[in-house]
Amino acid sequence: MSDEEEFTDRVLGRVLAHLPAAPAPPGFEARLLAAYDAFQARRHAGFFGALRVAAEAVWPGAPLWAPLSAFACALVLGAGIGAAMPSAATQHTDFSLEKPATFTLALADQQ
Amino acid sequence: MAISAMHDPDAGDVALAGQGDRAAAARLIARHGPRLHALARRMLGRPAEAEDVVQEVFLKLWTHAGRWRPGTAKFETWLYRVALNQCYDRLRKRRHEPLEAAMAVPDGAPPPDAGLQAAHISAAVARALADLPERQRAALLLCHFQGCGNQQAAEMMGLSVEALESLLARGRRGLKVRLAHLKESLGEG
Repeated sequence: MSDEEEFTDRVLGRVLAHLPAAPAPPGFEARLLAAYDAFQARRHAGFFGALRVAAEAVWPGAPLWAPLSAFACALVLGAGIGAAMPSAATQHTDFSLEKPATFTLALADQQ
Repeated sequence: MAISAMHDPDAGDVALAGQGDRAAAARLIARHGPRLHALARRMLGRPAEAEDVVQEVFLKLWTHAGRWRPGTAKFETWLYRVALNQCYDRLRKRRHEPLEAAMAVPDGAPPPDAGLQAAHISAAVARALADLPERQRAALLLCHFQGCGNQQAAEMMGLSVEALESLLARGRRGLKVRLAHLKESLGEG
């Protein structure tokens, strides 16, 4: 066993045991949790926050741009199809201003 | 190697924290916060800066938690890698600071009832570790204090196991040279 390995095996553990403890300061975890709360509050605040909440409901875990892009693509595609293909149902109007309309009152029938 | 959620004890809590579950976030903080703080404190030697690093690491975690997908790396490995990178960044910025401030090891204070010799050894060990190049220090801290195996420590540092072992060997050699004057105090014949 080399000198270096001997040092490693027998002494390194003892050497490092002399290293001062590094405990977290008081209130450390509470501060981290407060930062989490602040992050969540920021995330849900304002217009973009609401948008993010809606996006999260539609596509959980995805970044905000993903559902927004999907929505924009769907909108463009729908509008394009709508413009290119006119509706098959055409409206027929069978009245004219030149002919007077004829109608009877339901009330007159009853009398 | 893919790591399933079953083998990664944190995966569930990360997903829940990403969805706003405060209890899951608290569990992650309790599990990793103090250990990350100890690593950062020993890497940087400054308690306040260590806390800043941990805050930044967790902020990064909350930002990415919703998108975390278990499978490529263990969550803990990712977390430690982020923390180490933060430490490296801060150490790099410190190179422009005066040497005394950069190498200060304020945590060397022993408990009040400890003897003077213990205090002397403790401060010397802390100084010797702080004197090591940052990657050697990180390797020693991960393997000897954080309880990581070589494979895990190598993944955390983004190295091969061979490269990590080389860092460990050089770190040990560096410590030996720096602590040679303490050989008798440490019980070395």
